[in-house]
Amino acid sequence: MVKRLKNYINGAFVEASTDRYIPVHNPATCELLGECPDSTRDDIDRAVKAAHAAFDEWRSTPVLSRAQYMYRLKNILEERFEDISRVVVEENGKTRDEARGEVRRAIESVDYAASVPALLRGYKVEDISSGIDETAERQPLGVFAAITPFNFPFMVPLWFLPTAITCGNTYLIKPSPQTPLSMDLFYEIMDEIDLPEGVVNLVHGGVEASQAVMEHPDIVGVSFVGSTPVAKIVYETCAKHGKRVQAQGGAKNYIAVMPDADMAASVANIMGSAFGCAGQRCLAGSVVVAVGDAYEPLKAELLKRASALHVGYGLEETTQMGTVISATAKQRIEGMITAGESEGAQVALDGRSQTVAGFEAGSFVGPTILDGVTPEMSVARDEIFGPVLSIMHAEDFDGAVDMINQSRYGNAASLFTSNGKHAREFKYRIRAGNIGINVGVAAATASFPFGGQKESFFGDLHGQGPDSIEFFTDKKILIERWL
Amino acid sequence: MSSLNTFGAIMTFAIELETKLRDYYQTAGDSARAADADKRRSNLERVRRENVTEIKLEPIEGLDQADYSLDLSATSAEAQSAAEAIAAVFYQDVAPKINVREAQRALERCGRQHAELAANK
Repeated sequence: MVKRLKNYINGAFVEASTDRYIPVHNPATCELLGECPDSTRDDIDRAVKAAHAAFDEWRSTPVLSRAQYMYRLKNILEERFEDISRVVVEENGKTRDEARGEVRRAIESVDYAASVPALLRGYKVEDISSGIDETAERQPLGVFAAITPFNFPFMVPLWFLPTAITCGNTYLIKPSPQTPLSMDLFYEIMDEIDLPEGVVNLVHGGVEASQAVMEHPDIVGVSFVGSTPVAKIVYETCAKHGKRVQAQGGAKNYIAVMPDADMAASVANIMGSAFGCAGQRCLAGSVVVAVGDAYEPLKAELLKRASALHVGYGLEETTQMGTVISATAKQRIEGMITAGESEGAQVALDGRSQTVAGFEAGSFVGPTILDGVTPEMSVARDEIFGPVLSIMHAEDFDGAVDMINQSRYGNAASLFTSNGKHAREFKYRIRAGNIGINVGVAAATASFPFGGQKESFFGDLHGQGPDSIEFFTDKKILIERWL
Repeated sequence: MSSLNTFGAIMTFAIELETKLRDYYQTAGDSARAADADKRRSNLERVRRENVTEIKLEPIEGLDQADYSLDLSATSAEAQSAAEAIAAVFYQDVAPKINVREAQRALERCGRQHAELAANK
């Protein structure tokens, strides 16, 4: 019997008020895993009402008590670690290690939230005028919500929810309808930790539910992670409705490789960046810029390593690259490879005909390397969100910097080098929010903000780290004089 | 294709190896060695959980689980020593391939313990 998912509202799993359900398939086996409700505006309203009603009592719960829920949550997440990882593989198609890595990072966000009591402190200055003191106190704001993507279905919601509620807010998550199962499991766990009713809520769905989140008058702030066109819509709509908003969009991440780089070690790491999670990371390296004489050895090593990657079903431990999210995504990615080819790129390694024995209908795209890519080609400019790495060539370091800064995206960029001056110049001059030096996946840990610039981020306060404390609290100013 | 080509494949093989050794020593009536194997299994599960670092997930080459199959059909001192020697070699081979130091350290420790057991016939 296929599981028909429910929403989690006011401390209980409840049926959505819809008869529309979205099938959730395992992208490798094509097995029907569940049915996700396409919830309505009424469902969102019901969840927000519950969260709104829970806010006053929850914000007055001592912060140390709120933090205790995070320790309980962490313990259960550790106990259920392998179960959660398995669900992430089944719904998303990534490898077992990638899913474990995702769950690990989610737990790190819970660890960070447990430290909120130390992070909520305000500040005070005595005698701003004679006998008058001024204090800034942090206060929670109310109901926050997140609209989250398919590529990290477990980690991204946990970038936000644990810190938000430990700060004293109440919360609503609207996960991707393509990958709702790990959030369903997460809310089973949340139910175990016995939070007061209404503090955390889950509403599944698609466009109608998302629109309702953006427009609901009682939601004070929204976090979004997804594509750039949708991030723009979320940013504009939420701003129009008076909300705080942090909207993380798409990416086109460049990796520059200098001739002085340790080529074997660099390429081993670039493999993880370009082909990890089948290229469906917002931090995935998508274009590698070979600088000067690095071109030939880099290309040879990339081809050698990428062609040896074992593509397969993520639940098999030996799989090094899993599926993309769906047949539609596979078709789109393969179309972009073909478009690049027609624009003049050479397909040095072609993943379009990838099949996996036993999983013939799976949404597999093999590692693909396009050579001779130039800046005007679509594969150099547009986000592919698949396992496709384009090779470009720059004469020198300055040429590589110029090439990278031309991108309209600014999520991440990496440099592989053994030269400290170039490393320093790179991080100083590149207009991207996450910079890797000899690191291909420049992923901020939970205590640092997840950067993003240009069309990769809309807002001013990023997810995670100190920015999240700012986002989930307001500073109230107290000026006092005792007569 | 190498069958121990990912962090998870290596750690899972190590966990299974310790599980087999735990059951083997239980059958052989050596509860102390069974408990030690179970402790290593438990530690390795924790290491797999805590040290899977997304930033450093890289393909691993040159290791095949067929090279580390244990013959647990006999329980003589010699048979135990031979099994322990294979386990020791496994850990010595895989530890340098793991690029997370905490995990590497745990594997090295398992290797040392198995080498000591192999030497104590």
